[in-house]
Amino acid sequence: MDFFEKIASLFTNEKYMQIIWKGFTTTIYISLGAMVLGLVLGTLVALVGLSKKSKIMVIPKAICKVYVTVIRGTPMALQLFIMAYVVFAIRNFPQILTAIIAFGVNSGAYVSENIRAGILSVDIGQTEAGRALGLSNATTMLHIVIPQAIKNVIPAIGNELIALIKETSIVSMIGMFDLTNAAKIIGSGQNMASYLIPMTVVALFYLAIVYLLTLVIKIIEKRLRASDKR
Amino acid sequence: MINVKNLYKDFGKCRVIDALSCDIKDNECVVVIGPSGSGKSTFLRCLNSLEEPTYGEIWFDGKMLTPPDPYLHPDIIKASNTYKKLTSGNTDSEDAVAKIKKEDLLKRHEGREYASLLKKFDAENHLDINIARQRMGMVFQHFNLFNNLTVMDNLTLAPVKLKLKTKEQAESKAMELLERIGLPEKKDEYPSKLSGGQKQRIAIIRALCMEPEVMLFDEPTSALDPEMVGEVLDVMKSLAKTGMTMICVTHEMGFAREVADRVLFMDSGKILEEGTPEEIFQNPKSERLKSFLAKVF
Ligand SMILES: Nc1ncnc2c1ncn2[C@@H]1O[C@H](COP(=O)(O)OP(=O)(O)OP(=O)(O)O)[C@@H](O)[C@H]1O
Ligand SMILES: [Mg+2]
Repeated sequence: MDFFEKIASLFTNEKYMQIIWKGFTTTIYISLGAMVLGLVLGTLVALVGLSKKSKIMVIPKAICKVYVTVIRGTPMALQLFIMAYVVFAIRNFPQILTAIIAFGVNSGAYVSENIRAGILSVDIGQTEAGRALGLSNATTMLHIVIPQAIKNVIPAIGNELIALIKETSIVSMIGMFDLTNAAKIIGSGQNMASYLIPMTVVALFYLAIVYLLTLVIKIIEKRLRASDKR
Repeated sequence: MINVKNLYKDFGKCRVIDALSCDIKDNECVVVIGPSGSGKSTFLRCLNSLEEPTYGEIWFDGKMLTPPDPYLHPDIIKASNTYKKLTSGNTDSEDAVAKIKKEDLLKRHEGREYASLLKKFDAENHLDINIARQRMGMVFQHFNLFNNLTVMDNLTLAPVKLKLKTKEQAESKAMELLERIGLPEKKDEYPSKLSGGQKQRIAIIRALCMEPEVMLFDEPTSALDPEMVGEVLDVMKSLAKTGMTMICVTHEMGFAREVADRVLFMDSGKILEEGTPEEIFQNPKSERLKSFLAKVF
């Protein structure tokens, strides 16, 4: 059998497809969950970090700073282990939730830095003009600064999400059954002596997901650009 | 309309506004001139609290915008017990006030009472800064139109969000003003497609959409190509003719001569000289003003 026939045979083998499908859905669930969590967390942390210095904000600001420093300064795999074997070492705690939280918390730190930079990149004059009209800080942020910041940060956030999807492949380290692990299992079966074929197939899956995400990001970017056609 | 009392503004160690006091009357058009770095922008930005004054008071229409300063404010000092004690024994009241400040008696002996006095004074005299800003339009050197919104949305965002007007009312007001400046066909454009002069004229009517009582202009024509300066000045002149209270920082001496009721000359954070345009331009008194005018003309 040549290479392509082998690939085709993998796709037609129901048992293998089931394994891959299961791995695929796990990867997708973790990625989507972590993305949402990361974006929400990242936005919150960025807003807290940029808020005006005041007494009540001292502690939240400090927490956010420590959070970003620690998460960015330690390996993802270690964070995953800590989540799985320390924080959520609870009997029957769903593993997928552990993974979503671990990756979401990790992603949030990076996203917050991107959003922070994006908000800072919006000309201060925009905020001043809004405030000078009597708009509150929140309204100015919501209707003027954040829409412009989002446009600036979409590419960076896109990169972060793509990195996140690929990063999820390490969940096999805590015994989870994702796309990468599916390839390993099929590869070690007797019918497929070589790892090459399943690994290639799974790589194609990752490529497809990332490519799709890239397309979505491009479309969003294009829509948001409407206001600065020159 | 606006009263500034003993205003100070420091940036770090650098004193930018230095014991400045002035009064702006209703329907008055005041032009502020002065060398670069003399604190003109900072002064204007203090008026609507875009910069927080370090010290001193700003009063708008009889209400205070800055927090009351217990050491300076005569009303509070007069109401305090220490003051009463000090003045009961025939001492000259000026001396007494100086003594209070020096010994910090208010703080040391009247903690509670003093706090409640401040609170009461605040409640009676304070105007929320966001409300004040709604009544005070500001025009910036770099226009600062909202880049993510169309011209129409730029004009209507604030009055609608602040519930001063319904969307329809705001739009008809915006249309009326757009027609007045001759740009009704630009209503659905984004700011990036407008020329500098058009942007600035729209920035002016954006402030006017709030129907302000005072307009602050910070070098509205400095960032414009020379051929666009005229169109912006024309809008400002016609605004002055309607009797709008205006404070304009500008280098356009022709404009100052034509429409100013009063010209303030600022240097190193102080108002060095003030007067009618004739007084300032024809009979400058201080050396600083003479040398400044020599450079400008
Ligand atoms: N945010 C700031 N932080 C520190 N220093 C500042 C700040 N804003 C202004 N300054 C300083 O305050 C001084 C006065 O500035 P300001 O902008 O008020 O001058 P200006 O009279 O408006 O000058 P120009 O004609 O150049 O606009 C300058 O020396 C400037 O460096
Ligand atoms: Mg200036």
